Amino acid sequence: MLGAGAVASVLSSVMLGSVNLPARDVASVFFGEGSALARLLVLELRLPRTLAAFATGGLLAVAGALMQVLLRNPLADPYVLGISGGAAVGALLTMISGLGLAWISGSAFAGALLSTLIVFGLAHGTGSWTPTRLLLTGVVVAAGWGAVITFLLAVRPSPELPGMLYWLMGDLAHARGNVLPWLTLIVIVGLALPLGRSLNVLARGPLQAAVLGVSVRRLEWTVYLLAALVTAVAVTTAGTIGFVGLIIPHMLRLVIGNDQRLLLPASALAGGILLTLADTLARTVIAPEQLPVGVITAMLGVPVFLYLLYRSRT
Amino acid sequence: MPASPARSRPPRLWWLAVLVFALVLPQAAPAAGGGNISVSDDRGRSVELSEPAQRIVSLAPHLTELLFAVGAGDRIVATVAHADYPDAARSIPRVGTAAQLDLEGLLAASPDLVIAWGSGSPGTALERLEKLGITVYYSEPGDFAGIAADLRRLGRLAGQPERGVREARAFLNAVATLREEFGERPEVSVFYQVWDQPLMTVNDGHLIGEAIRLCRGQNVFGHLDSLVPRPGLETVIAADPEAIVSGGPGEDREDWLEAWRDWNQLTAVQRDNLFFIPPSLLQRHTPRLADGTRMLCEALELARERRAGPRR
Repeated sequence: MLGAGAVASVLSSVMLGSVNLPARDVASVFFGEGSALARLLVLELRLPRTLAAFATGGLLAVAGALMQVLLRNPLADPYVLGISGGAAVGALLTMISGLGLAWISGSAFAGALLSTLIVFGLAHGTGSWTPTRLLLTGVVVAAGWGAVITFLLAVRPSPELPGMLYWLMGDLAHARGNVLPWLTLIVIVGLALPLGRSLNVLARGPLQAAVLGVSVRRLEWTVYLLAALVTAVAVTTAGTIGFVGLIIPHMLRLVIGNDQRLLLPASALAGGILLTLADTLARTVIAPEQLPVGVITAMLGVPVFLYLLYRSRT
Repeated sequence: MPASPARSRPPRLWWLAVLVFALVLPQAAPAAGGGNISVSDDRGRSVELSEPAQRIVSLAPHLTELLFAVGAGDRIVATVAHADYPDAARSIPRVGTAAQLDLEGLLAASPDLVIAWGSGSPGTALERLEKLGITVYYSEPGDFAGIAADLRRLGRLAGQPERGVREARAFLNAVATLREEFGERPEVSVFYQVWDQPLMTVNDGHLIGEAIRLCRGQNVFGHLDSLVPRPGLETVIAADPEAIVSGGPGEDREDWLEAWRDWNQLTAVQRDNLFFIPPSLLQRHTPRLADGTRMLCEALELARERRAGPRR
């Protein structure tokens, strides 16, 4: 069912845009025909963006699912450890120093990894790490990045500022290339599947996992690094898109249960579907004006999440 | 990035150079008219067209205005939000805002030339357009001469080289007249308010800073490094400018100036030297800047007259 949904979402995203193209024109493009304009719009604009959206959504949902296992906290999302803040600071510094656009992706990625290392180093320290400690460290580091961003924006308003704000809200207009996110998505799902059984045990608690013969320390490290890497790729591709990593694993858990072997690939698909549809909306709702996709995911995500929380109370 | 400030230069010689250039160009243009059109844009890139552009997309309101000025308004097939001058610009189809482009709509307009705003248009989107083989001209006029240069170059790209040269000359003439009229007047210290919360002004490197200098105003924050500094209220009061000039928050709203009246110790308030200039005349890099600068010069002249007059 998710597979069908994925195909449908990609199709709708390719069909719809701010320019009205009849379905037949779009279809003919895929058979190597169609007008030059239709080919240009579909092959050069819509398809790359759709693929980037799908991969990014998948990455975010998988990262969210991994974080929720790792922190044993259903409220964890991919950004909880300050990864997006680090990426934003990296990108901002590049813009301010006037380096070319090509450097922005690289420095955003470096910022994301730096933040990951800071959080992990601090939370790890000498003693044992607990999910609470990791979570708190992440939240504080994220707040710190937020302060740095505000400071940078206050002292050096960059001409790229409007674009930067869209990037902070999450915007696929800046997505360049979709090879890296797809590669990451495929690798991560491939890697996570063999880990599925151990993850299932870990989700029940580290003590139980240890008793059942899982090397908890090593597993947690692996999951942490994987999740951080995945988030860094997603943030670098499309900025900070909220709620995909939060609600997708949540909703799926209600439907298919908490078996990670099923949950992780399902998250990848469902996350991809959600972000593809959200981006289609962002491109068309108030066309020709374009919305950042983060606005759409937040508008969908907040009520859904509140509803889930409210229901789980009873 | 701050545009390189136009430092003061010997005005006569400079004017002569422009005149010579303006006289030479019309002869040069027809010679090149048969073959390729090649101009260098404000990033120093060479922009080439095999024939004058017929379908132009303009990515900022002031660029649309520049194109209309050189008589290429009817060749604009799409522009962005807020392109409201002249009136004919209002009916041009939109492809997003200056900061957020609708690439699909832009491509669907099948332009042969895109005029981008160097520091305002989104870099990623333009990079993609160039990769798709669309010719992009980056405009970033940083001073009066830069506006004239853009008028000439846009004129050539749009097949109106004479018109471009004529408009550029008319603009520079208007500026030169102002320089002649006010260039020797005693200085007046000025605070120019771009925005009110936070307070924003301009330094000497900014185009508005150049206009202030031309009118023999002495910008109280002109020496600051930032192109658009944000001074605190205290520093404005401490600087005690003789005149306060503001352009906001709208074309005919003077709310910000009214707020200064609470500070009646200020010289500018005591002498009623609070001047409003519509933002589109002074804040847009277009030929209308000459009109805005004239208003500014006349306002400062009024401030000079009020020096001698009776107190309050």
